[in-house]
Amino acid sequence: MMERAMALTEEHLRGPAAGAMGLIDLLKPSKGRAVAQVPAKLETAEPTDAGKPLIELRNVSKTFGTVKALQDLEVSIRPGELVTVVGPSGCGKSTLFNILAGLEEPDPGNVLRHKGISSVASDLLGKVSFMPQRDLLLPWRNVIDNAILALEIEGMPRGEARKQAMAMLPEFGLAGFEAQYPNQLSGGMRQRVALMRTFLFKRDLMLLDEPFGALDALTRTMMQRWLLDVWQNHKRTVLFITHDVDEAIFLGDRVLVMTARPGRVKLEQAVDLPRPRKADIVTSPEFIALKKTLLEAIEEESMKSFQVAGY
Amino acid sequence: MTAFMQTDSARQISRGIAGALLVAAVWEICARGLNLPAYILPSVTSILAGMVGDLASLLEAARFTATESFAGYAIGCLIGMAAAILVTMIPSARSIVLPLATAINSVPVVAYSPLVLLWFGIGMASKIVMVAVAVSFTIFLSTIAGLDRVDRKSVDLIRSFGAGRLAVLWRLRLPTALPLIIAGMRVSTVRSVIVAIVTEMLGAYGGLGWVIYQAVLQIDFVKVWAAIIVASAISLAFFGAISFVERRYVFWSKA
Repeated sequence: MMERAMALTEEHLRGPAAGAMGLIDLLKPSKGRAVAQVPAKLETAEPTDAGKPLIELRNVSKTFGTVKALQDLEVSIRPGELVTVVGPSGCGKSTLFNILAGLEEPDPGNVLRHKGISSVASDLLGKVSFMPQRDLLLPWRNVIDNAILALEIEGMPRGEARKQAMAMLPEFGLAGFEAQYPNQLSGGMRQRVALMRTFLFKRDLMLLDEPFGALDALTRTMMQRWLLDVWQNHKRTVLFITHDVDEAIFLGDRVLVMTARPGRVKLEQAVDLPRPRKADIVTSPEFIALKKTLLEAIEEESMKSFQVAGY
Repeated sequence: MTAFMQTDSARQISRGIAGALLVAAVWEICARGLNLPAYILPSVTSILAGMVGDLASLLEAARFTATESFAGYAIGCLIGMAAAILVTMIPSARSIVLPLATAINSVPVVAYSPLVLLWFGIGMASKIVMVAVAVSFTIFLSTIAGLDRVDRKSVDLIRSFGAGRLAVLWRLRLPTALPLIIAGMRVSTVRSVIVAIVTEMLGAYGGLGWVIYQAVLQIDFVKVWAAIIVASAISLAFFGAISFVERRYVFWSKA
């Protein structure tokens, strides 16, 4: 186990670009190891100053059978923010998203406010535009018809929905591909179609669950820059899950670090890097400093979980 | 891509024809060379001559059988799909209906034909009912299997867009099930012609099964073979038509 931790530090020293995806995997605690004893260390920078939050979670827990996926999670997101969430896999990130998308009810005793109104999770069905990890494009629909799926379900006539989507194609790098079917597209393009579907479903909050996780490093970097452009043009509130610390810093206004299961927010780190952000920002001292803080938080977490397990 | 597919299927068709011609040639040589009597194997040329001679009555019988098969097939497909959708939408019905359907389907449907003839008479109605029963079970089971193939995550995604149960069914479950439904429909084409002919043999006023039965009684084996060939042609055409629809409209499952 110590070797794993050493390898981790080496990886860490190699710089921002090298294997940031692999890092989190190294930190991943094995299944069944108890990690509940981690003391709650919430650095709360509550957004009381900038108007009321768009969405607010308090004391949100979620138990599946005997497994506690989330415990006393507190998250609050202001309108227009791009908040990224990092944490080891199995830390309940996807559970958090399912709750926010209205697909899963948290355990009783929680507070969930949407635009200041107390809600149950299922109230959020149809209120949040949700993009899952896999693109989940429908193979029998071409690019344009996949993109308008959510609009169609809302009841918009196909013709009108298609017109809206056609206007958006160039921005998503899909001009001329409207009649292609998903099996004719590359992974990056499929992901852009899925993103376009999410963007066309105009909701206050967008949930993106590791949208670039399955892409190769080069494509991922391009997609990140492109996403920032699109986000700045459209001014949406975004919650973005990722495994990749670099990605979390590069994209986010704030980065939330989650603990291993049961998941809660361990660290909330504001990212004050100026926008628009250029690709080379990842080598700037500010970026490196942020990355160091975040990696330390994650590492501390994993060391604690090793100790709990008796190593 | 379309051109490629066309040459591909053209090659398949020409190979099929070549194979059929080869079989016919061997058949002809055997029948004539070994001087086989007609009740064992009449020669191909004599069958063809018989077909030309009996053309009017064969076509009339073919029209009869084809009508029964198509009507029963269409009714069976509709019932099978509707029942499968209903059972999928009402999960509690499923555990009752599914074992029952599997049990009924495991007995060859023709076993029920004497009863059906008794209930519906020896006209077309009894054949249509038999075909519908045979087809509906196949379609029911393949539609259920298809509807079950839906991905939980896809359902979640479309629910997050605000889709209710009907929208999930229409926009996700049915298209997901379509490849299996149409595969079941393709297999059922042949089944429907078989069931129609067998039921005709047990009692009918017309149709290829009836022609075959009558011809055997009259020891006219050339006519038996002529009717068999016409029946095969109907089956093949039916099968080909549904395969064409499958290739045309369920393009995504093969790619």
